[in-house]
Amino acid sequence: MTFDQGIPDFGEWLFGGFVVSLIRVALLIVGGFLIGFLISSARRGPVEGFYSVSKVIASSVVDLINWSVPRTIAMAMLAVQEAIRRRVLIAFVVFVVIILFAGWYLDVQSDNPARLYLSFVLTASNYLVVLLALFLSTFSLPADIKNRTIYTVVTKPVRSWEIVLGRILGFVTVGTMLLVPMAIVSYFFVARGLSHDHTVAQVEAASAGDVTHEGETSFDSHHRHTFKMYSDGTGETDVVTSHWHQVTKSGDGDSAAYEFGPPIGLLQARVPVFGSLRFKDRAGADTAKGINVGHEWSYRSYIEGGTLAAAIWTFEGVTPQRYPDGFDLEMNLRVFRTFKGDMEKGILGSIVLRNPDPSAKVRRSEAINFTAKEFSSDKQTIPKSIRVVDNQDGSIRDGDLFDLVDSEGQIEVWVQCGERAQYYGMAERDVYILDHDAPFIANLAKGYVGIWLQMVMVTAFGVMFSTFLSGAVAMMATLSSIVIGYFSTFILDVATGTQQGGGPLEALYRILTQSNVQVDLEIGQAPTSVIQGFDMVFMMFMRAMAGLLPNYSKFSTTQYVAYGYNIDGTLLSIQLITAFCYVFGVSLIAYYLLKNREIAA
Amino acid sequence: MADQVAEAAPSSADDKPQAESDVVIETRNLSKVYRDFWGRQKVQALKALDLEVRKGEIFGLLGPNGSGKSTTIKLLLGLLFPTSGEALIFGRDSSDVGKNERIGYLPEESYLYKFLNAVETLDFYGRLFDMPADVRADRVNELITMVGLDWAKRRQLKEYSKGMTRRIGLAQALINDPELVLLDEPTSGLDPLGTREMKDLILRLRDEGKTVVMCSHLLADVQDVCDRIAILHQGELKELGRVDTLLTVKDMTQVRAESLTKEAEEEIRAVIEKHGGNLVAMENPTTTLEELFLNIVRDSDEKPGRRSTQDG
Ligand SMILES: Nc1ncnc2c1ncn2[C@@H]1O[C@H](COP(=O)(O)OP(=O)(O)OP(=O)(O)O)[C@@H](O)[C@H]1O
Ligand SMILES: [Mg+2]
Repeated sequence: MTFDQGIPDFGEWLFGGFVVSLIRVALLIVGGFLIGFLISSARRGPVEGFYSVSKVIASSVVDLINWSVPRTIAMAMLAVQEAIRRRVLIAFVVFVVIILFAGWYLDVQSDNPARLYLSFVLTASNYLVVLLALFLSTFSLPADIKNRTIYTVVTKPVRSWEIVLGRILGFVTVGTMLLVPMAIVSYFFVARGLSHDHTVAQVEAASAGDVTHEGETSFDSHHRHTFKMYSDGTGETDVVTSHWHQVTKSGDGDSAAYEFGPPIGLLQARVPVFGSLRFKDRAGADTAKGINVGHEWSYRSYIEGGTLAAAIWTFEGVTPQRYPDGFDLEMNLRVFRTFKGDMEKGILGSIVLRNPDPSAKVRRSEAINFTAKEFSSDKQTIPKSIRVVDNQDGSIRDGDLFDLVDSEGQIEVWVQCGERAQYYGMAERDVYILDHDAPFIANLAKGYVGIWLQMVMVTAFGVMFSTFLSGAVAMMATLSSIVIGYFSTFILDVATGTQQGGGPLEALYRILTQSNVQVDLEIGQAPTSVIQGFDMVFMMFMRAMAGLLPNYSKFSTTQYVAYGYNIDGTLLSIQLITAFCYVFGVSLIAYYLLKNREIAA
Repeated sequence: MADQVAEAAPSSADDKPQAESDVVIETRNLSKVYRDFWGRQKVQALKALDLEVRKGEIFGLLGPNGSGKSTTIKLLLGLLFPTSGEALIFGRDSSDVGKNERIGYLPEESYLYKFLNAVETLDFYGRLFDMPADVRADRVNELITMVGLDWAKRRQLKEYSKGMTRRIGLAQALINDPELVLLDEPTSGLDPLGTREMKDLILRLRDEGKTVVMCSHLLADVQDVCDRIAILHQGELKELGRVDTLLTVKDMTQVRAESLTKEAEEEIRAVIEKHGGNLVAMENPTTTLEELFLNIVRDSDEKPGRRSTQDG
């Protein structure tokens, strides 16, 4: 996983994205009024339409003043009771059955079983809960109107606002009642599925430095480890399928017994600390970007090997309190080869740590060499005691990592590619310091919060559509909004032409005629412009929709959990605020639609 | 029936004028046209209805099926929006939700949540009035006893018979002790005992100073309880006035007496003939089917078990 989408800076998001979202919400509300106006105009003419819309606005103030929380809760409880009596909690049984059968077909020999298990349970929970929210929210109100049970409700002092909010609240409660046990079951399923033991298979004495014994573990859970024992009686295995075990030895000689601890490194929540990136070109001069190796709008840029070109990350807050023993640097560099070379071996490179302060006593560390392989992530441990280059004579001596940190707690990491005519590709978020791991369970919970928020938004949209559409149509409308929401990035790309091949009609034509997306349509001027004209109008509509609807993929943080990265608090707050705004805006529209609806017609 | 009342006064002019604040319901030129999805006219269900219902009276809306009775009630409640004209309840527009605090409504069929039981149903509606929990619990028990469903109060409504649902529907309409009760065919689906209880209840509500508007096409029911009636036909108001005035047939006399001998009967026949009258019928009175049924039920309530036959 890469942080392509990135975790936006909160301030940047607030004044950039969020203001845009607010404008969208405002647009949604105005759109709602417009729809209400159009509906009532169609029924009784524009003057009456205008009159009734302004009456609705005035009376909504009265409704707000008279808003009663107990009434809203009563409506919510009704929705919960309805769902429970309709036995929706069976969905949980379905989930457990799916999970039980999953054990059979999940690839047990996977390199990273935790990733597989976590993606699976999170995706399953996500789909199930969103589907449930979709069905619950869209069929309830239309059924109430069709059965006329709503007659006895709206003739009580219940405000439309309370009906809408009660419904949303009720279905969210039902969804939560399902999601929480799902999360708990998921955790135990994953933890149990991954936990395993080894026993010793063979061991022999060794004498390489501190190592006293070397050996091999038994073959359990589809893998085996080798392990090393140190003179103090402890040891460790190597990393296989993304985990290792601690080993302890008791007894001596023939009666020596080895004990292996639980797997370490499977369920983790690494905390990346990102820096800012700048470049030096091949001559060593400052430059904003590296080289472009062909992808015009590429996220990454590249530096050339064997030259002065360098990628420089500046990290902040590097203090001895935070990293008393030094830190781990994780690197996800891309490799671009102009000649093939030895594909098995990576491309050599070096890391130099530098003090940003030019007048510092110690300016730079000794170069740390590493090899970068395509599509794999390297971890470099930067210890506290580090070899540094003396400022005066250029000699190398022992030094301290924190001598390289300036008074503001900043340190620079210079990455260079060592091989001539080969390139490293990087983006700001490809190299980061690993802070202390966050607790895995909390991270899993945060992943489930993302799912929960999706459910809440789907519920709100479902209820909104169900205030004026019949059940099945409301469900289709909500489903479309979800699909457009999930693919909004793609839709924007098609609309802006970033994604080649044209809109739906042109794409269909190309598929049927099997024509390449790059060639012009060979059907003459007029048909081409008809096709493209239709596509343009359609894509304008889709683009507007994609801009208005929530981008559900931004709420899907299952990747973070599955790949073992901590879900950042900023990301979570952004999700929470965005979801809240959507739910508020959508409920408001639902309220006006329901209020302006002639229930008995 | 229509023939008999046709000559009665066609307006409400025979009523005593009352204070303005006593007017609970007022409709002005109220009309309703049902339209289809495309806005095309389907039915003109109500045509320019002008009505006034005063505090403390039982007002009956009469008419054959499809004459616009339910439509009128739905317009009063704001379930429908008038095509033209307006409906005022307690002086407020019918679209004002606040008026519902003081209204009870029994729909033509009891549209209730089938998955709730009787207690849950009433509790739910009580919550919609923001009633405190203890008041609510008392009120729920009181109403369930009143409608005679104590024995089934924990059963889900989907197991209820039509009449039982009707009863719980009535209880639901009274949960807030309303000042104005709108009953759409209150006796439909009820057994004779239930019908009688319903009528007694309506009279009791009036005695408590409440206003009742009911609609029905069962003239007997309306006749028994209503103070004033309006008769609708095809959405038009045909008749409006006090029941006693409307039902008094001035040119008809009916004789009914007890313990008369054959001779006495002959004597009366002679008297009628002497005055130039035309004897329509004179016979031993029979009890109505309704009364008989009620007697049987009452008796069996007092003496459970098989009822002894008349001749035994
Ligand atoms: N939702 C509706 N859509 C279209 N037409 C309707 C609707 N409801 C009622 N109507 C029509 O309006 C007219 C009056 O109906 P209404 O229900 O008011 O009659 P009613 O007097 O209550 O009859 P009943 O005694 O059968 O209950 C009828 O012609 C009916 O078909
Ligand atoms: Mg009716």
